[in-house]
Amino acid sequence: MLRSVRLTILLFMLGAGEIAWLNVANPTYADTEADLARTFTQTIRPFMTTYCIGCHSGPTPEASFDLKRYTTMESVLEDFGHWTLVLSKLTAQEMPPKEMKQPPEQLRQQVIAWINAVRRNEAGKHLDDPGPVLARRLSNAEYNYTIRDLTGVDLRPAREFPVDPANQAGFDNSGESLAISPALMSKYMDAARQVVDHLVIKPEGFSFAPFPMLVETDREKYTIQRIVDFYDRQPTDFADYFEAAWRYKHRAVLGQPSATLPSIAAQTKVSPRYLPMVWQTLEQTKEEVGPLAKLQSLWRQLPTPNGNQPGIARASIAREACLQMRDFVVKIRRHTEKLYPTLEAPSFNTNFQPITMYRNWSMATHRRDFDPSALRVEGDLPTQDFVVTRGPTFGGREVEELKRGIATYIKERQEDADLVVPAGERARYEAAFARFSAVFPTAFCLRERGRFYPINSMDKGRLLGAGLHNVMGYFRDDTPLIELVLDEKGKQELERLWHEFDFIADYTMRTYSQFVFNGGDGGRSRIAVDRPGPNDFATQASIFRMRDQYLEKAPAGTNPLILEAIKYYFDNANNQIRWVEKARVEAEPTHLDALLKFAARAYRRPLVQEERDDILAYYRQLREQSNLTHEEAMRGSIASILVSPDFLYRVDLVSASRGTSAQSAKLPAASTYRPLSGYSFASRLSYFLWSSMPDEELLSHAAAGDLGKPAVLTAQVRRMLKDNRARALATEFTGNWLDFRRFEDHNAVDRERFPVFTNQLREAMFEEPIRFIAEVIQHDRPVLDLLYGNYTFVNRALAEHYGMPAPAGQDEWFRVDNARNYGRGGLLPMAVFLTRNAPGQRTSPVKRGYWVARRVLGEAIPPPPAVVPELPKDESKSDLPVRALLAKHRENALCAACHARFDSFGLAFEGYGPVGERRTKDLAGRAVDARASFPGGSQGDGLEGLQTYIRAHREKEFLHNLSEKMLVYALGRSPIISDEPLLEAMQAKLVASGYKMSTLIETIVTSPQFLNRRNPEYSQQRSTETLQKKGD
Amino acid sequence: MTDQMNPSTNQITRRAILRGAGVTLALPWLESIVAKAAIKSTEAFPKRFGVVFLGCGVNEDHWGSEGNGADMKLSKSLTPLEPLKSKINVIHGLFNKGATGLGIHPPQTGSLLTGATLTKGAVLHSGISVDQMIARHVGQETLQPSLVLACEQPITGFHESNFSLAYSSHLSWQSPDSPVPNEMYPSLAFDMLFENRGSLLNLSILDRVKERAERLSRQISSTDNAKLDEYLTSVREVEKRVEGMRKAKDKADDLAKLKNQPVWSMERPANGLPEDLREHSRLMLDLIAIAFQTDKTRVASLLISRDLSAMYYPFLDVKQAHHGASHANNNDEYERITRWHVSQFAYLAAKLDAMPEGNGTVLDNSCLMFLSNLWIGRAHDNSRLPMVLAGGLGGTLQTGRTLDYVKAGNENRKACSLYLSLMDRLGIKLERFGDSNTRLENL
Repeated sequence: MLRSVRLTILLFMLGAGEIAWLNVANPTYADTEADLARTFTQTIRPFMTTYCIGCHSGPTPEASFDLKRYTTMESVLEDFGHWTLVLSKLTAQEMPPKEMKQPPEQLRQQVIAWINAVRRNEAGKHLDDPGPVLARRLSNAEYNYTIRDLTGVDLRPAREFPVDPANQAGFDNSGESLAISPALMSKYMDAARQVVDHLVIKPEGFSFAPFPMLVETDREKYTIQRIVDFYDRQPTDFADYFEAAWRYKHRAVLGQPSATLPSIAAQTKVSPRYLPMVWQTLEQTKEEVGPLAKLQSLWRQLPTPNGNQPGIARASIAREACLQMRDFVVKIRRHTEKLYPTLEAPSFNTNFQPITMYRNWSMATHRRDFDPSALRVEGDLPTQDFVVTRGPTFGGREVEELKRGIATYIKERQEDADLVVPAGERARYEAAFARFSAVFPTAFCLRERGRFYPINSMDKGRLLGAGLHNVMGYFRDDTPLIELVLDEKGKQELERLWHEFDFIADYTMRTYSQFVFNGGDGGRSRIAVDRPGPNDFATQASIFRMRDQYLEKAPAGTNPLILEAIKYYFDNANNQIRWVEKARVEAEPTHLDALLKFAARAYRRPLVQEERDDILAYYRQLREQSNLTHEEAMRGSIASILVSPDFLYRVDLVSASRGTSAQSAKLPAASTYRPLSGYSFASRLSYFLWSSMPDEELLSHAAAGDLGKPAVLTAQVRRMLKDNRARALATEFTGNWLDFRRFEDHNAVDRERFPVFTNQLREAMFEEPIRFIAEVIQHDRPVLDLLYGNYTFVNRALAEHYGMPAPAGQDEWFRVDNARNYGRGGLLPMAVFLTRNAPGQRTSPVKRGYWVARRVLGEAIPPPPAVVPELPKDESKSDLPVRALLAKHRENALCAACHARFDSFGLAFEGYGPVGERRTKDLAGRAVDARASFPGGSQGDGLEGLQTYIRAHREKEFLHNLSEKMLVYALGRSPIISDEPLLEAMQAKLVASGYKMSTLIETIVTSPQFLNRRNPEYSQQRSTETLQKKGD
Repeated sequence: MTDQMNPSTNQITRRAILRGAGVTLALPWLESIVAKAAIKSTEAFPKRFGVVFLGCGVNEDHWGSEGNGADMKLSKSLTPLEPLKSKINVIHGLFNKGATGLGIHPPQTGSLLTGATLTKGAVLHSGISVDQMIARHVGQETLQPSLVLACEQPITGFHESNFSLAYSSHLSWQSPDSPVPNEMYPSLAFDMLFENRGSLLNLSILDRVKERAERLSRQISSTDNAKLDEYLTSVREVEKRVEGMRKAKDKADDLAKLKNQPVWSMERPANGLPEDLREHSRLMLDLIAIAFQTDKTRVASLLISRDLSAMYYPFLDVKQAHHGASHANNNDEYERITRWHVSQFAYLAAKLDAMPEGNGTVLDNSCLMFLSNLWIGRAHDNSRLPMVLAGGLGGTLQTGRTLDYVKAGNENRKACSLYLSLMDRLGIKLERFGDSNTRLENL
């Protein structure tokens, strides 16, 4: 069966669609249309008049269903959905009600046969009709997911949109229901402008930040964090290198005799450049004196692994000692760091930026040197001839802290025995320290720098700061990382990040502006210079004029280093500012390319030349006519793309000719269908599986035109289902199908009565079915697990609610097997449904049962009449248990007709309270009774009773319902009669495959309905009729 | 254009940032209805709220007032307000408890109008400021929800307290994580009010997508075209509303004329930043005045000098920059700085008071607030804040008073209590704002 279907689908794709598909459905229809019409007049209508119309007519027909209006067979076909309902009621002998006049059985069978024949006839006539899939805007959910995948940030602008209406099948993703209004259009405009506020223009293109990039501080936050993240990712812990070297040394015993230094580096995630250097230092030339000698001795003392030890123990025995080696190195480097004092001269304040920057520069360029004055010859008195920093002139706590910091540092350094040199050996030791320092820098990169740097008492959180006082300023210090650790790719990335810091956040320019306007010159009292105005201070001429004034006015005898520092400072500022200026101009064409690429991604197809011209023309219009800057015009252009119909709508262009197969040209003009273009198909697939736009890989297949190849398509589907984005299928499809999509806003619970129902628990309840169904989808579990699965997923909050042992981590989700032991497992007893279908202060067997019948099993149940007796709101204040109240309700025959269909399902859940908690007593303290007498008479108790009943009597309905709902969701339209053969095929294949979820999904995506669109010329009134069961 | 005007790249970015901001601020126009922008003569006059900020405190020896009404005595620094004293309230002793004891400067400033607890480190977090809270409620009624202006450029990076220096630069916060960008360019602030760039851009976008949709409609089937029609109709409808808004703007200009009252006119300021602080400040204050008069916005804040200000005052014969000078805040020089800032506030108040509206003036329908983040600069003391209110807020706020809360007890002298009381009078009833859930007594 499976094989032949696959084959016929293949045939279909090769162009023999109509014929091949008939093989699948294999319908035989004996009756001609004329016969059917005659039967309607002669048999059906008299039957209705006699047995039905008495109740189902008039101003208030029973179940709001008027049967009198079907006067011809055409009128039946126009509303066939209701006739499927008639079929099911007649078949189940529910109608006419028992107390009414009953038709002879033979007559009943005739009517049943007629409805079936009509259905078969219709299905056969429109077999290859893919159905009317309207152009439609993205649903709010699709909009959010698409913005996320398009921009790379999950901004969810649709939070502010009006709620999407659902179609009759309950899904909010169909053309029938997704209309657009001026109010929504305004929201789209707002959303587009909101998204472009996040735009980040970069030298090589653009991207989007997770927060708006409108204020200077946002731009800095964005760029700085990326640099610091890069630093954090680099392997700079000496201990890791010592351990890697140890692994290499003992590679044979550790089970990797052929390991090399590069392979060990890759395995332990350290730098393959730096590891050999460390290895060489530890192993090759034996050092006699100094810190290397001591380090090598520590190295030689590392434990030797023993072949008999278990693997893990063997591999970790050296860790502790490696950490000690690291600490030793860090200590020596800290105590031998050359501390460059802030240069001083009477004419310059120490806050003079060039002086601070010079200090930063000196520190940054001597990370692999050491301070010989740190060494002390044995017997000499300790010296203190180094200045760490000039303290501030005032300030309370900070100064005290600083003084303590300095004193501690000096003491540590003086007392370090490793810095003591034997008399007469100074030169030899200095050479040894120099070798040591060249390998082990004082730091690979500096993340934070405070005002009193290099004393670090006040630098926390001041990322990349230059250590200026009361003004902004940044300084880069990462040479050892470049010299020792990074590979070419890493070096390039780091350069790029720093370039982007300046390109995006203007840090050099803004630091320089602090110099000119904000006291970065250390105050104006000492050297008076002419200052540029706020509008031209950063031109080359202005910058050089400032430089030259300082150089000229510096009094004779000023420390020449200060003059050097001044030159360095201004030249560097000018170079960097000029670079940014130039880079911005040069990048503009790149941005326009990026803009076109962005549009193509947003439109989910390549642009035609006219569209490219159009987008560029609009950009130019914004620049030239509206006088906007480049960045403003980019924002405007992107906003216009985000509100264009090509982005907001999923529409299949008639003119797009490239199909999933090449045969569309051969199709006769009168044919009902046309294959979708490759791009339309890719979108249909990705919006089905991801609720979002196709990714690059899928689009490349659309471009190659090979998505029609079953192997390619199946591979893509499997890949996409493994992707995290497939979670959207669980959320959006099941959320709508099972009616919990809005549970995150569920507020019907009385929280005073149920304090356990916190926002956190509500979130967990919402998450549970999504996790469960994502598991079924992504791991291809049987769909029957939804009903009978003996497992579920919980986090701590939900586990506590369910009385399951809770894990340590608060946010971790984990799978619980044998969930039945806790009264859980599968969808039915999930707290989200039990809570959603309870009115707050009591349970509601009616709502819970109705949910099972309608949502899970797909049973059509008419709406209740206008006047129904209310059950008491609060269980604890009612004299009778809910079950007894309901039994009374069912004594009324009119109510019983429907309530008998579902009350019992809900009663089976009486062991669960209003927030889905397990209980043995109801809120009034009465023992609960979860026994139920199911339709058809079988008895059961609780969840297991219900599951047993469904397995025995209703499983087929569940499978049909699931198949139909998923098809409806995938196609974005209500079902039509000609879907029936496909639905039957889906169920048959499900059974044959062991109910695998993938069968369902793959059958849908390879179906003619999914692969094709209706031929626009083909207009067939009847085919718009739906099979929708309108009875509910 | 920008490039010719100014070769510096900073200008380009700054303009972009600022204009981007203007655009964002302009967003809610879509929601507003045309008719709302033009105030009918029968309606009550709108109430406005404005803040003028001075960084680093005042000279406490010369800051004071005694008595009420005609007998009210103003000390030296407050003398510029002498002609307006029947229309002001000098408030002593309010403070922001959460801003004390955290360290100096940025944490004393970033929560001044929010009453929130600030976060240290690289990630900013304050609260929504009172002006932006008001803008949220009344901003939809006008072309711009609010004007957020500054005469001094913002600083970023970090202070010794490890609080971001951005806290020293921004009074107005639209969300806890995001300050409102300060507009420094008088010309661009002018454009926000008169050129209405936000809606201009929206119009041009709508125009473009309309064309796009029309082109697309030729490529799709007739059933799909029915869906696209919905889209086109919506676009046209929105376009009409935007056009309506633009017309309403002109109506707002005519509003005062209709009542035979003079409209203050103002030429577009020159591009670029004014080099003289006096000119810069005057332009910004004029913009606020004209925006209030023509009801283009009802909320404004102006930071003439920020916290840690580097402003120079050669025209006051002060050598040191503002922040440096504040470390000797009880000397004559800092008194002159203080008095000059008060004179700017007085200028705005007087200007609004010269604009007739109904039986009174625009000032009578407004509340202007002058405040600083510190009391005694040399001690970084913010245990009480210097504060003056001007205007009667449409007859809801009695004026001509000295209100002294210095000895009222910490619970009864919260700045946020004042904000709650003022918002009440603007028709915005909140249970809690910042650190307060009570109204200021005796206001």
